[in-house]
Amino acid sequence: MSNVDFQQLVDQQYAPLYRFALALAKSEADAADLTQQTFFLWALKGDQLRDRSKAKAWLFTTLYHEFLSRRRHDVRFPRVELNDLPEEEMSTFPNVNAFDSATVLQALREVGEPYRAPLTLFYLEQFSYHEIADVLEVPIGTVMSRLSRGKALLRSRLAGRSREETFGNKIVGLQSNKMEKSHG
Amino acid sequence: MDNREAKFILGAYRPGGQDANDRRFVEALEQARRDSMLQRWFQDSIAFDTTMTDKLRAIEVPLDLRGSILTGVKVSRSLRSSKPLIKWAIAAVFFLSVILGSLVWRETRPAHLAGWQNEALGVISSLVRNESRFDIQSHKPAELVSWLHSNHAPVADKLPSNLDNLESLGCKTFSCHGVPVSVICFMRPDGGLLHLLTTNASPLSDRVFQAEAKFVQQGEWATATWREGERVYMLALEGSRDQLQSYLL
Repeated sequence: MSNVDFQQLVDQQYAPLYRFALALAKSEADAADLTQQTFFLWALKGDQLRDRSKAKAWLFTTLYHEFLSRRRHDVRFPRVELNDLPEEEMSTFPNVNAFDSATVLQALREVGEPYRAPLTLFYLEQFSYHEIADVLEVPIGTVMSRLSRGKALLRSRLAGRSREETFGNKIVGLQSNKMEKSHG
Repeated sequence: MDNREAKFILGAYRPGGQDANDRRFVEALEQARRDSMLQRWFQDSIAFDTTMTDKLRAIEVPLDLRGSILTGVKVSRSLRSSKPLIKWAIAAVFFLSVILGSLVWRETRPAHLAGWQNEALGVISSLVRNESRFDIQSHKPAELVSWLHSNHAPVADKLPSNLDNLESLGCKTFSCHGVPVSVICFMRPDGGLLHLLTTNASPLSDRVFQAEAKFVQQGEWATATWREGERVYMLALEGSRDQLQSYLL
């Protein structure tokens, strides 16, 4: 692959790859390092990929493998099953517009990794469930299951933040009312 | 299809409408058209997903990342391309050593596991150590078999009779070198675990595996692998061949 082609690939994919990495990794530095490492691996092995149209999927798959190999002995994620979630959390939708991108990203990071990876590919790149299954190398049914559970968990996280903010504002409001009265 | 099933499927529907003609979604979309409650849920879901996409795409990327990638790869390439003759000479010597070594080793090695089997043992070990999770858990093997069938994973049409009586823990699907594999974990009466791996037979496995089980003891793992119809099975436990053999009678 020529330098020009490589530069084009970097220009097209480095931002979405970084955002994918950021949703998976613990810090911005880790995400940048994962992104960089993925392109290093492409520079080493990318020539082996005959079908150039699959370069994007190759990059996402490689980044995901890199992430998995780094965290293998790192973190154990808590088990959360679909049946553990109350029906109302499966059905209600918090107002995402009320949050900034950093808060939304934080909520996404709080969802267990098995759900976080497919969710990020779904949202960031609008990958189909077929493409997600290819990138993560899991069956289609598992992708659907993880998207369904992951979205329910994400909604639950965001709804929790929404309640915290509302509750927090009320306390602040009450305190400031008291302050005004005591000063008056 | 009830609304819960429809919600499960529609969770994978992309808000851009690219999936409208996908046969997997047709029935769920039809259900949403018929049921106003589900329709409202679906519209809220699409709005939620669209906003999530917008929010996540607005995350800023470090300004120096692009430059670091391009510079880093350029430096690596220049190092790799230096002294090409020495590099080729080293490669040729190494290549010859590998060929000679493998010829000697092939003649003298004990029975061994294939690459996918070693990889599969790694997956089992991570399950045992609780470093990875089951896709689904159940004490009833039949439920796991049914789940694997419905997810188009390789699975036995009927479990070996000695396993059918055991209580299961869960199952997991994964792929080894792009080949789908499933594993069901059972609890043995002595408190240990027993694992049944299933994968699809290939022209290569036709040559290597027959109907008669091939036993390999590797470290603490005892394994037995055999082929039956279109499937290759591997039974594995941490223990001896004798312990394993009692489940193959």
